[in-house]
Amino acid sequence: MSGPQEQAKRLLRWYPRAWRARYGEEFTELLIADLTERPRSAARTADVIRGGLVARLTDAGLCGCAPQAPELARVHARAGLASLACCAAVFLGVGGAIWSQLVIGWQWSAPGTAGTAVATFAMTGTILVLALLALLAALPVAWAVATRLARGQARRLAAPSALFLAGLAVMIVGGRHFGNGWPGTGGHPWARTGLVPGGVAAFSWASTLSVSSFWAHPAALAAFPAAELTWMALSPLALACLVAGAATAVRRAEVSPALLRFEGRLAGAACVTMAAFVGAGCAWLAGRTAPPGSLFHPGAIDVAGLAVMTVALGVACQAARQFRRAPV
Amino acid sequence: MSADKALDGFGRYAGPATLILASLADGSKHGYALTKDIESFAGVRVAPGTLYEALARLQAQGLIEAVESHDRRRPYRLTEVGAATLQAQLDAQRRVADVGLRRLAQGWGLA
Repeated sequence: MSGPQEQAKRLLRWYPRAWRARYGEEFTELLIADLTERPRSAARTADVIRGGLVARLTDAGLCGCAPQAPELARVHARAGLASLACCAAVFLGVGGAIWSQLVIGWQWSAPGTAGTAVATFAMTGTILVLALLALLAALPVAWAVATRLARGQARRLAAPSALFLAGLAVMIVGGRHFGNGWPGTGGHPWARTGLVPGGVAAFSWASTLSVSSFWAHPAALAAFPAAELTWMALSPLALACLVAGAATAVRRAEVSPALLRFEGRLAGAACVTMAAFVGAGCAWLAGRTAPPGSLFHPGAIDVAGLAVMTVALGVACQAARQFRRAPV
Repeated sequence: MSADKALDGFGRYAGPATLILASLADGSKHGYALTKDIESFAGVRVAPGTLYEALARLQAQGLIEAVESHDRRRPYRLTEVGAATLQAQLDAQRRVADVGLRRLAQGWGLA
């Protein structure tokens, strides 16, 4: 294989698979001609890399013009919804860790200041609304996927569905197992004083155990029981499987335009709810009234968590904006 | 979608898209021929990544379409919507050029 061909093949890897399937051959021909004329050009390399990244974002429904053809517009819209689902999962994962810390703290005693109490109330309300929206969004899609699978119409949905169910099963079983082992929550005599049932708080805490500042303190981490350490390493993988399965199924499921529009409305509501949670979280951080050592005292991990959630919110809003532009 | 709004969502690719539409106005061309033609009439070389991002957006909007070809270099041609869009874009650019030239002549004595 000659030089320009090798270089063209290498540059083409910046583009997503679907784009390569559609434009790969002709783009390679153009690149080979351009590389033959100008063997060295940093500007061309940068342009191709930028084009590849833009194509990847477009493939994820996060930028570009929504196609005018209804069928392609629905593909673009589903890609945007899948990206939004990924963002919502990251948001819920990190937000669940922050929120469970606060509600578990409330199991022991109410926060000392009105600001922290209001922020915790607001975060509790918004995370419950977000969980409800996720459930409302997931159920009809799951029903559509299950119906197609039962009729043997969509074999491409079998693998992502299995991945989703496996991830979900691990999260539920592991979350319940480790949640029940936490002293002061499940079955604790004071659990009724909290904002939410102790079991819910414990499950949220156990499911998000990997979002922890202990990763920065290996000596302290080494003292953890082996099973808990395994769970801290395994649970993000299970969550990734769950999210990847769900996102792939959403991208591949040819759901009706009416259902897509319904999902789009839920996506808009989810973005507003996530923004409210971030606002409440920032108010809690700004308050900083609880003493160090208290579960209501925000730490560096909470600041980092809110930063991650803000990025996830920004990407989710972009996905929702792109969805609105698609003529589904 | 009206012809004068068709390139609204193109962002930084609106300029290259107009050049591509202008190049295709006299017949179908593949990527390399487009690059060469645009270089000859506009004096700019559209880089490969920019060219294909603009082509993909134009095709998604139905302003151009791929021509059946057995060659690896697939040609593209203008659609009716694409021709109307090009007309609207060039009319808008001509209005700007007319106003600018008239003001230059009045204020600076340049023709």
